[in-house]
Amino acid sequence: MKSALRNAYYFTLSRYSLNPNPSLLHIVPFISTFPSLPSVLSRNHPFRSPLCATLMTGGDSDSPQTSPSLEKQFEKFRVQLEDSGSLRERIRAVVLEIESATRLMQASLLLVHQSKPIPEVLQKANSQINVLKDLYNKLAEVVRECPGQYYRYHGDWRSETQMVVSLLAFMHWLETGNLLMHTEAEEKLGLNNSDFALDLEDYLVGVCFMSNEMPRYVVNQVTAGDYDCPRNVLKFLTDLHAAFHMLNLRNDFLRKKFDSMKYDLRRVEEVYYDVKIRGLATTGDSVGDQGAQKI
Amino acid sequence: MLCSSSAAIKRISVSWLIIANNSNFKSHRLSRSESSTKRPRTMSTHSSLKDAFSSYADHLNALNEKRERIVKASRDVTMNSKKVIFQVHRISKANREEVLEKAEKDLAAVRDQHISRLVKELQGTDFWKLRRAYSPGVQEYVEAATFFKFCQTGTLLNLDEINASLLPLSDPSLEPLQINLLDYLLGLADLTGELMRLAIGRISDGEVEYSERICQFVRDIYRELTLLVPLMDDGSDMKTKMDTMLQSVVKIENACFSVRVRGSEYIPLLGSSDPSSFLVGVSDVEL
Repeated sequence: MKSALRNAYYFTLSRYSLNPNPSLLHIVPFISTFPSLPSVLSRNHPFRSPLCATLMTGGDSDSPQTSPSLEKQFEKFRVQLEDSGSLRERIRAVVLEIESATRLMQASLLLVHQSKPIPEVLQKANSQINVLKDLYNKLAEVVRECPGQYYRYHGDWRSETQMVVSLLAFMHWLETGNLLMHTEAEEKLGLNNSDFALDLEDYLVGVCFMSNEMPRYVVNQVTAGDYDCPRNVLKFLTDLHAAFHMLNLRNDFLRKKFDSMKYDLRRVEEVYYDVKIRGLATTGDSVGDQGAQKI
Repeated sequence: MLCSSSAAIKRISVSWLIIANNSNFKSHRLSRSESSTKRPRTMSTHSSLKDAFSSYADHLNALNEKRERIVKASRDVTMNSKKVIFQVHRISKANREEVLEKAEKDLAAVRDQHISRLVKELQGTDFWKLRRAYSPGVQEYVEAATFFKFCQTGTLLNLDEINASLLPLSDPSLEPLQINLLDYLLGLADLTGELMRLAIGRISDGEVEYSERICQFVRDIYRELTLLVPLMDDGSDMKTKMDTMLQSVVKIENACFSVRVRGSEYIPLLGSSDPSSFLVGVSDVEL
């Protein structure tokens, strides 16, 4: 590198003597011959070093100023982007509140693994549903300020919503033994009549998260002495898994979550088998005895 | 103990499900109305699950098919916009008028044949929902359109102007396709790369002042964008583009600089093999 620099320098010096208009400019050319150097300069001085600036702007003194329409357009852009930035901040604030309400709900639902009586556990968790309903309506109001841009900001509440759906679905199952439907979930959150809807894929991912809870629940219920639980859970999860099979999924996040559902199903089957062969279940009948058929 | 109460709850919830399933959700078709209450309890619960998921499947299928159509249209937009850019690059003092005329025609063809396919797909919330599917195509189109405008008039094509040109694509009953700010800025960042190539090319053709105008223009864009990049939604793409942009700016500046410095020697450079020239035997220095 040093010898090349020296060569370039001597090269420019000799050119200096040839040129009829010698000036200081000619000492500097070697900077441009090493492409790495200018970028080093620019990295340290984002608005270019004074040296380069004087060289460049020398001939530009008579070039036109930045056109006013260009500046006006970019000024308008800046205002728009600042507005969307502040909207995003307000969305984030509401989402944080949603997250903390969800955590409270989750904490009280965890008691179900310790075989606290279900109605008691559900009562505490249910109280949070109204909080969530209010928060989602607040969120809807904020987003309503930019009509049509639900999906622009959707990523900011996507994972929180998936968690909410999974908890609601789990609670619904504890209460009724059935799957919470998409429309029912919307109703619970007060979103069924608004333009701020519950995204279908968020709902489906939430349902997959719920199924992840099942194996643990079943194991703990059996430990606590409820030997009928595995049969009910197995039937539910089998039906759910079969229903999911009707969907054509792309290789995205939802697909991955659905794939994990079969492992949940397998673990529940194992628990059911353990209970059955030991004759612990009270009726001891097979899954198909109620006349319902697997899809 | 749990069984009897759950059976009662099941009865209630089944009728509730029947009512609930009759309402619309945000899908392309109504969920099928539920069977009558005359069916045995367990069967209705079962088939309501099946019906619900069948309508979910329809919704997802429609969405994915739409996404595929948009991706295909976006790829065509990209390909044809690139052709316009290559066309404009062929410009020189001699063929300016005909090059620009053909480019204008090609650009209009991109609009009419390919961007029009996006218009009906991107109605309503799908515009933002499926942005990742069409954004690359739109960015390439912005790049081509702004490049063409610059070569034609030396000015920047505004977002409003670009969107005005897209209005005729849709009939008044549909929402017009309007390019959003983020795609416009991303396309603008790519434009500077093409302008850099143009500037270097023009210098080789001897059009030095033109290249200096390009230099000034690219500097202006870079300066304006530095204020906007931190505010953008998905800033990481843009940040890498800004680094590339600065490199483009510096390349143009260095090219203009070398021309100024060696200006008087541009003709003697042809005679470097002349035995009396001091340049004999000296290897060329590369930029």
